Amino acid sequence: MPLINLPAFAADLLADFEQLGTLRVDTPVIQPAEPFLDMAGEDLRRRIFMTESETGKSLCLRPEFTIPVCLRHIETATGTPQRYSYLGEIFRQRREGANEFYQAGIEDLGETDVASADARAISDAIAILTARLPGRKLDVTLGDQSVFEAVVAACGLPAGWQKRLIHAFGNPAQIDTLLTRLSSPQPVTGLSAEIEALLTSGDEATLIAHLDETMEATGYSTNASRSPREIAARLKEKRALEKTALDGRTLSVLREFLSLNMPLADAPAALFAFAEKSGLTLDGALSRFDARVAALGNAGVDAHALTYRAAFGRPLDYYTGMVFEIVIEGSPAVLAGGGRFDRLMTLLGAKERIPAVGFALWLDRMEQALAKPQGEAPQ
Amino acid sequence: MTITIALPSKGRMKDDASAIFEKAGLKIVAVGNERSYRGRVEGLDDVEIAFLSASEISREIGNGSIDFGVTGEDLIREGLSEADARVEFCARLGFGHADVVVAVPEIWLDVDTMADLGDVAADFRARHGRRLAIATKYWRLTQQFFSSQHGIQLYRIVESLGATEGAPASGSADIIVDITSTGSTLKANHLKILSDGIMLRSEACLVRARKAEHAGDPLVAKIIEAVQGAVA
Repeated sequence: MPLINLPAFAADLLADFEQLGTLRVDTPVIQPAEPFLDMAGEDLRRRIFMTESETGKSLCLRPEFTIPVCLRHIETATGTPQRYSYLGEIFRQRREGANEFYQAGIEDLGETDVASADARAISDAIAILTARLPGRKLDVTLGDQSVFEAVVAACGLPAGWQKRLIHAFGNPAQIDTLLTRLSSPQPVTGLSAEIEALLTSGDEATLIAHLDETMEATGYSTNASRSPREIAARLKEKRALEKTALDGRTLSVLREFLSLNMPLADAPAALFAFAEKSGLTLDGALSRFDARVAALGNAGVDAHALTYRAAFGRPLDYYTGMVFEIVIEGSPAVLAGGGRFDRLMTLLGAKERIPAVGFALWLDRMEQALAKPQGEAPQ
Repeated sequence: MTITIALPSKGRMKDDASAIFEKAGLKIVAVGNERSYRGRVEGLDDVEIAFLSASEISREIGNGSIDFGVTGEDLIREGLSEADARVEFCARLGFGHADVVVAVPEIWLDVDTMADLGDVAADFRARHGRRLAIATKYWRLTQQFFSSQHGIQLYRIVESLGATEGAPASGSADIIVDITSTGSTLKANHLKILSDGIMLRSEACLVRARKAEHAGDPLVAKIIEAVQGAVA
C-alpha cells in the first residue's frame, strides 16, 4: 500500500529499527475486537472503531500494535527471543486531534535477561527520539510496579488488600480512595442468622452445602458463574478481616513510598534507605531495580537525566514491572511510552510464559514537535 | 421562531407530561384526531408539540432537531456523550421514577459494595477463564460508573435488550445493570442491589437542547418558567 501521508522521518525511523537488529512486521488494520476489550477492559470500547462482520463477529480498526504483534508471534509459533518493530496507522476515537495516526515501536519478546531488555527498550527509545528530534531536551520518567508490589507484601498486608492496592497502582485517585477506605474497619453485615451461625461455627463444608442448596432452589446454576466454594471462601476472608484496619504507621509508609520522586541515579540508594528506615525487606525487588539502573549505564544512558517516580504505573492488568514515558521538557505530549508486560503473552494464549518489554512512538506528536522552532515547548 | 417540544407518545408518561403542561398553563391539544403525533399549545401559536417515543426524544434533543423534550434522565445520559454540555435539565417532573442500579445474585453473600465487586472482577479471569460479564442495555452509564467512578476495568458488557434480570440465572451474564422502580422484579429473580450500587436516580425531566438562538428568546424562558412553576 503506497502511503503518501507518512511523516518525513519515517524512512529514517525504519533505518533505525533495522540498525537495531529488529524484525519489521505488519499486521492487518482490521482486527478481532475481542482481545483488545479483554485485555484493556470495556472502557476501550468507546475509544476504538468497532464494526461487525457479516457473521456477527466483533471487529475493530487496529487501535495499537502490541496486541496484534504478540498475537502474530503466537500464531506463527516463532521462537524467542525475538525483537519486532512496526510502523503503521492506528485508529482511535479522540475528542481532539485526528482519529487516525501513525505509531511505530519495538516489542522485545522472550529475552530472559530482564534488566538488559528493560534498559535496551529505554535506551532505544531515547536514541531514536534524540536522532529524529535533534536539539530537543527529553524528559524521561520511569516507574516500577514490582517495587510497589514488594512494598505492600513486606508491609504484611492481607493478600486481598495487596491485590486491591496493586490493581489500583498507577491511578492516584483510586489508590487514595482505597487507602482511606482500608483505614477504617469494614464490618460484614446483612447476613441471615443461619449464615451467621454457619460462619461462626467455622463449618465451611456445611456453609458450602447450604449455598449450593440455595442456588439450586433459586434456579441458579452452581457452575456457570461464582461457585458456592468461592463465595464461602471470600465470605470467610471478609469476616476474618472485618475488624482489621490499615494502621497509621503502615499508611504513612505507603504514602511515603508513593511520594518518592528523584533522579533515577539516586533511586537505588533512596529505596534502600526507605526500606531500612521503614523496616521492610525488599531485597529481591531492589536488586532487580539496581540491576536495571546498572544496565542503563552500560547501555550509555545517563541515569541522572532520568526521573524515577514511585507512583508512576499503568493501571492495566498485564503491565507487571517497569514503565516509562518520554516527553519534550515542558510539554505534556507523550512522544514515547513503554513498559514490561510479562503477563500479556500467556493471557493471549501463549503456552509458556514469555517475558516481554516494548515501547511505542507517537509519530504525529513527533511531527508536531518538529514543526515547532527548537527550544520552544509544543502545546 | 417556532419552538418544538417533544412529549412521550404513549402511556403513563404521555398522560403525566400532559398533566404537568396543563398545570403550567400550557394546555396541549392534539392536531387532528386523538392519536395524532402532532399537537400544539393552546394560545401559543409559535409552539409545536411532537409526540415521540422516549428514546427518540433523547436522540432528537441530542442532535438539536427539537428544542425541548420530556424524557427520562437515564435515556439522556445513556444516549448522549457529554450530556450536560449538550442539554440543560430545566426541571425534574416528579414522575417516571426509576433507579439505574448494579445488581448481583443474592447468593453472593460476600459482595455488598462496588469495592467487593472490584475484587471479584480482578480475580474473575484467573478463576473462570473469562471476564466478569454484565448484562445491560446501559453501555455508557455502566462504563462511566465502573471505569471512571470505581476504577473497575476488568469486565465485559453483554448487550441485553429485554428481560435483563433473568441473565444471571440463565448463565448468560454474572451480574446486571438495569432500571428498577420498586425492586420487586430484582427480588423475584433473586438479585440484590449493591449498597453503593445506585448509578442514577432517574425521573422524567424537561430538557432543553443547548442552542445559541435560545438566548434571549422570551418564549423559551416562558416555557421553562411555567414548567418549573408547575412542579415547584
